[in-house]
Amino acid sequence: MTGRLRLGAHVAALACVAGLLALLVWKLAHQQHAPPVGSAAPAFTLPRLEGGGSVSLASLRGHPVVLNFWASWCTPCKSEARVLEQDWLRYRNRGVLFVGVDYHDLGSDARTFVSAHGLTFPMLADGPGGVTGTYGISQVPETYVLSRQGKIVAHLAGPINDSAFTAKFAAALREVS
Amino acid sequence: MIRRLLLVVVAALVLAGPAAACARPRTSLSFLEGQVMCPTCHTTLDQSDSQAAQQIKVYIAQKIAACWTAQEIEAALVRNYGQGIIAEPSHKGFDLLAWWLPIAGVLGGGLVLAFGVWRWSRGGDDELPAAPEAGLDEETEQKIDELLAGLD
Repeated sequence: MTGRLRLGAHVAALACVAGLLALLVWKLAHQQHAPPVGSAAPAFTLPRLEGGGSVSLASLRGHPVVLNFWASWCTPCKSEARVLEQDWLRYRNRGVLFVGVDYHDLGSDARTFVSAHGLTFPMLADGPGGVTGTYGISQVPETYVLSRQGKIVAHLAGPINDSAFTAKFAAALREVS
Repeated sequence: MIRRLLLVVVAALVLAGPAAACARPRTSLSFLEGQVMCPTCHTTLDQSDSQAAQQIKVYIAQKIAACWTAQEIEAALVRNYGQGIIAEPSHKGFDLLAWWLPIAGVLGGGLVLAFGVWRWSRGGDDELPAAPEAGLDEETEQKIDELLAGLD
C-alpha cells in the first residue's frame, strides 16, 4: 500500500513538473516577434478611430502601405507626427497609403492627438493591442513599409524623424512607390 | 432671529453641497489603481509610472470627479482596452482556471496533509522492524550464571 502511494505521489509530482514545463514551452513558442523583412505582413481588420467602420489590410492590397503604430501618450510620436503628415501628403499621389494604428490608448485622447497634430491619413484603433502584438510592437512609435503585394519592405523601430531612420524610411518609400 | 436662520440655511447649503455632488458613493483612485492593469507593462497601475499608466490614472481621476462608479469606469476602460485591462481574471473560459486552480491546490494539499497526519497518528511504527524479543538465549544465561557463581 505504501509503495503504491509513494509511486502515486511521484507520478503526481512528475505530472505537475511536466505541466509547468509544457506551459513554459507553449509560452515561448507563442511569444510574438516582429515579422522579418521580406515576409508577408500579418493580416488584420481594425475599426476606424473616427467615423465608424473598419479597414482590413487585405483591402489595401495593390497599394504600397506605410503602417505607423502610435499612441497619444507616446512622447516621440508627437515629434514624428508632423514628418509623417508631410510624407503622406508627398507620397499619396503616387498611390502610397499611410495608415496609423493607435494602440493601448484612450479613444478620446487619441482623437484629440490626431486633431491637434492635423493628421489627415486614416487612423485605426487597436485598444487591446491584439494586432499590434502580431507585429511584435514593443515600444511606439514603430513603422512598417509594405509593398503592393503586402510584403514587408522595411521596419523602423523608432520615430521616423530620428536621424537613424529618416534615410531608411525615404529609401523604403522610393522603393515601393 | 432672521439672521440666525439665514446662517443655518447657509451652513446647511455649504455642508450639503459636497454631499449632493455625488448621489452615489465615490470610488477612489487608489482602489482602482489596484484593480486596473497598465496595458504596456502588465502590472497594476499602482506599480507603474509608465506613460500609458499615467494616462489611465488621469482618466480615472477625471471620472471619479464626475461621480462615475468603479463599475462604470472599469466598463469604459474595457471598451477601450479590452478585458485584459482588468487585473481580476474573468469568470469564464480559460480564465476560470485562475480561480479554480488555487482552490484545487489548497484542497489537494489539505487532503495530502490530512492523510499524512492520519497515518502518523495511527501508528507509523507499523513499518518499523520488530523489536528484538526480551531475554537471553540459554547458552548466554548459563555463562552468566557460571560467572556469577565464580564471584561468590
